[in-house]
Amino acid sequence: MFRVDRRLLVQFDWQLLGLAGCLIVAGLVTVSTLVPRLGARQLVALGIATVGAMVILAVDYRTLARWACWGYGFGLMVLLAVLLVGRSALGARRWIAVGPVSLQPSELFKLAFIGTLAVYLASRESSRPGWDRVIVPLALTLPAVALIVKQPDLGTALTLLPVAVALIIVGGARWRHLAMLAGCGLAVLPVFWFLLRDYQRERILVYIDPSRDPLGSAWNVIQAKITIGSGQLGGKGLFGGTQSRLAFLPERHTDFVFAAYAESWGFLGAAALLVVYALLVLRGFEVATTARDTLGTLLATGATVLLAAQALVNLGMVTGLLPVVGIPLPFVSYGGSALLTAVGAVALIANVRMRRFA
Amino acid sequence: MIRPRPASAIPRGRLRLLAVVLGLGFLVVGGQLAYLQILSGERLAALSDRNRLRLRPIAAPRGILFDRAGLPLADNRPAFTLVVVPREVPDLGALVDRLAALLQTPASELRDRLARVSADSPWPIRLSRGLTLEEVARIEEWRLELPGVTIEVEPQRAYPGVRFAAHVLGYVREASDQDLARSGLRRGDLVGQSGLERLHDEHLRGRDGGEQVEVDAYGRMIRILDRREPVPGAHMWTTIDRRIQQAVEDALGARAGAVVVMDPRNGDVLALTSHPAFPVERFSRPLDRETWLGLVQDPTRPLLNRAVQGLYPPGSLFKIVLAAAALQSQITTPFDRLPCPRQWVFGGRPYHNWEDHDRGALTLHEALQFSCNTYFYQLGLKLGPEKIVQMAEAFGLGRGTDSGLTGERGGLVPSPAWKREALKDKWHPGDTVSLSIGQGLITVTPLQMARMMAAVANGGTLWKPRLVTRVASADGRLVHEEAPRIQGRVEMAPVIFEFLREALGAVVAEGTGKQARVPGVSVGGKTGTAQTHEFKSDADRKRRDQDHAWFAGFAPLDEPQVVVVVFAERAGLGGQVAAPIAREVLKAVFLEKVARAELAR
Repeated sequence: MFRVDRRLLVQFDWQLLGLAGCLIVAGLVTVSTLVPRLGARQLVALGIATVGAMVILAVDYRTLARWACWGYGFGLMVLLAVLLVGRSALGARRWIAVGPVSLQPSELFKLAFIGTLAVYLASRESSRPGWDRVIVPLALTLPAVALIVKQPDLGTALTLLPVAVALIIVGGARWRHLAMLAGCGLAVLPVFWFLLRDYQRERILVYIDPSRDPLGSAWNVIQAKITIGSGQLGGKGLFGGTQSRLAFLPERHTDFVFAAYAESWGFLGAAALLVVYALLVLRGFEVATTARDTLGTLLATGATVLLAAQALVNLGMVTGLLPVVGIPLPFVSYGGSALLTAVGAVALIANVRMRRFA
Repeated sequence: MIRPRPASAIPRGRLRLLAVVLGLGFLVVGGQLAYLQILSGERLAALSDRNRLRLRPIAAPRGILFDRAGLPLADNRPAFTLVVVPREVPDLGALVDRLAALLQTPASELRDRLARVSADSPWPIRLSRGLTLEEVARIEEWRLELPGVTIEVEPQRAYPGVRFAAHVLGYVREASDQDLARSGLRRGDLVGQSGLERLHDEHLRGRDGGEQVEVDAYGRMIRILDRREPVPGAHMWTTIDRRIQQAVEDALGARAGAVVVMDPRNGDVLALTSHPAFPVERFSRPLDRETWLGLVQDPTRPLLNRAVQGLYPPGSLFKIVLAAAALQSQITTPFDRLPCPRQWVFGGRPYHNWEDHDRGALTLHEALQFSCNTYFYQLGLKLGPEKIVQMAEAFGLGRGTDSGLTGERGGLVPSPAWKREALKDKWHPGDTVSLSIGQGLITVTPLQMARMMAAVANGGTLWKPRLVTRVASADGRLVHEEAPRIQGRVEMAPVIFEFLREALGAVVAEGTGKQARVPGVSVGGKTGTAQTHEFKSDADRKRRDQDHAWFAGFAPLDEPQVVVVVFAERAGLGGQVAAPIAREVLKAVFLEKVARAELAR
């Protein structure tokens, strides 16, 4: 059934694989030194992700994108199901149990979401750009965002928005329409704000900016800063990270894994990781530019922006530039579903590249 | 099949724009990394050296509860709290033993509080609250041998009296496991658990602040890195009058029971007490097992708020309902008479009046005045259960008052339909006879009686008992406001209300309620004595010391400003026990008038 053309193999993007591989190895090493037991589990997740990547690579992205539309509809239902029957952890319902494994459907949903928006925008490519190129993608985005926010998982919901905006821009919407939309959004926000009661506002503020809560997230952030800073230029070495090893740093193997990494490897290591991310993102855009058709361009753009946005929000949060919202660092943070999504996104980009002549 | 697209269709410019924006993002992160790791690296490395940061929670003062004149009912005063940071303690077990010895408390109690906390937690844990000065001195003396232990000054609830208004105010306690699951609370936070403290807990609580402090190797503070001021809790203005509340508690004295004082013009609860009460302040500190068991197993049930949770037969107070129903349905008029014999036989069973002599034929007015049971048995039978139940329900009996006080119960007005449903039994005429004098299965709360008496006094308006007028934050912003609210209206001709008020005036002036007379103020009211047991013999029938004593009244008669309901549990006759308590309360309410009248005399 999957008869893979040998010519495709020749076109495989080894550079992309190499960049993603660097990040995955950095993550595996960091997680394993912090919590060895979880390193092994992450390796298993990597195995599953590899199989998933093979499947994504083997199928033409045009077929994949069609499947994605079904995945989108199914995904919405699953998200609804998570709300109703999901397993809750740390006060949020994000996981759903499938046998012994807990899956986080909102993670995998991101790929189906990219596929659906890309299919729609590609289908409109020969028509005159009108309001439909803004409104329909938004209509596809907002229900999903609402369901994920309700879990509550503000972080994941927030990564869908930049992806949607990037796809609308690359999908050929008129700047005028985009500007008007942005204007409307900005105009509605303050009105909404004034309708709220004081304590509701306070709740939203704490939600957006938990550092208003001095002993909770503000502690995380200051500890993360100390952890990163104490790495200085050269780092404390693989097992020298006192901050992270002594558990001063909360969430040290998940959302704040970068702090532990930066403590061990110092500025040199941390900057190297940034460069790898930047190269990965540039490569993604190159693939988008050289794709054979608009669908390919859109898919590669979506996957690239997804990875870049997650990485930037996570890095911004860990280094104290952005408020704390729970987002993992793609490829590096511990977490099977997140790894699956990140690897899937890279496979999608590679898929588009492989078939740029075929 | 394959249509390569023209090069012009590729949105190169837009893709490049996105790449640039994202690339800039990575540059900014890189800049921040350089700032943290290279520019501030040394300082942060020093900090991480022996992580010399401490967290100091700053507890928000809980909102103050004021009485209607602005006097505090629940305030805060500074108190010493013993705090431990488990991570800084090399040997928690040894420390606990040491502290237990210094504080002279059982080590198991301290251990319990550390049980759910990880041994390397950086969070300060409150081990003990309300330390005495001697205890603080003892801890400070051993300071150097108690690493990780600090003493913080935190606001603690302070009350005017040990048990003052305990059941209205309620108590605060450290958040239980259920509380912690419910909302954004931390272990050790204080939460209102009953009464008014619970009703608006969310507003009263405020939000804790905190400090991140850099300390040296000896734990001395070098500087504050970050500080968030606590947001004090909102203050609450109640309808309670502290002076009247005090008078009510004095008047009830050591008797078990409840007293409610209400303004019949708007439903404001001026005073509400239930005795025995619990020591309010004691509750904000962790209770030990013995104290807890002592309170829960106490046969006098100090935790029961008798004013809203106690369900009692209303006894003769219920005759007001019968009189109203009879006049409204024109079963009788103020001019008709019915006999009031010593004993009245119905269904082969003798029913007795509480008096031993025959009073002859009485009008409704006189029957109320002398509280003649045998008269009301006959009147009840003439009315039938439906009309009685209808009127009782119109007056709000058997139905909660929505006062907001913890655990308020509804009570029961039994009807034929209810009996068929719940007990699978027929309604017997004997049931009607019992109901006619407020006996049998009917139960009400003292607060319900106050609401009903207020309706009698004000011409039929059923007010929701109001305890809180407003809640406003410390900087004056209104958080919650409560206007008087009408819950229902008893639709009856004004002359009937007039008749009832006049008859109740006669009860106090020259009937069973004489003991409630107050010089200088005209009082109306009704006494009640509710049987709590079956009479086995004639002699038994004369023993009334196991009965509940009731008095419900209002004053002044012509323009009622206040309703008083007194309930004394297993205390004897209403006229002899409850009426004098009401008199003392009314004397305090109308202090000036009483003084003037006594001077004139």
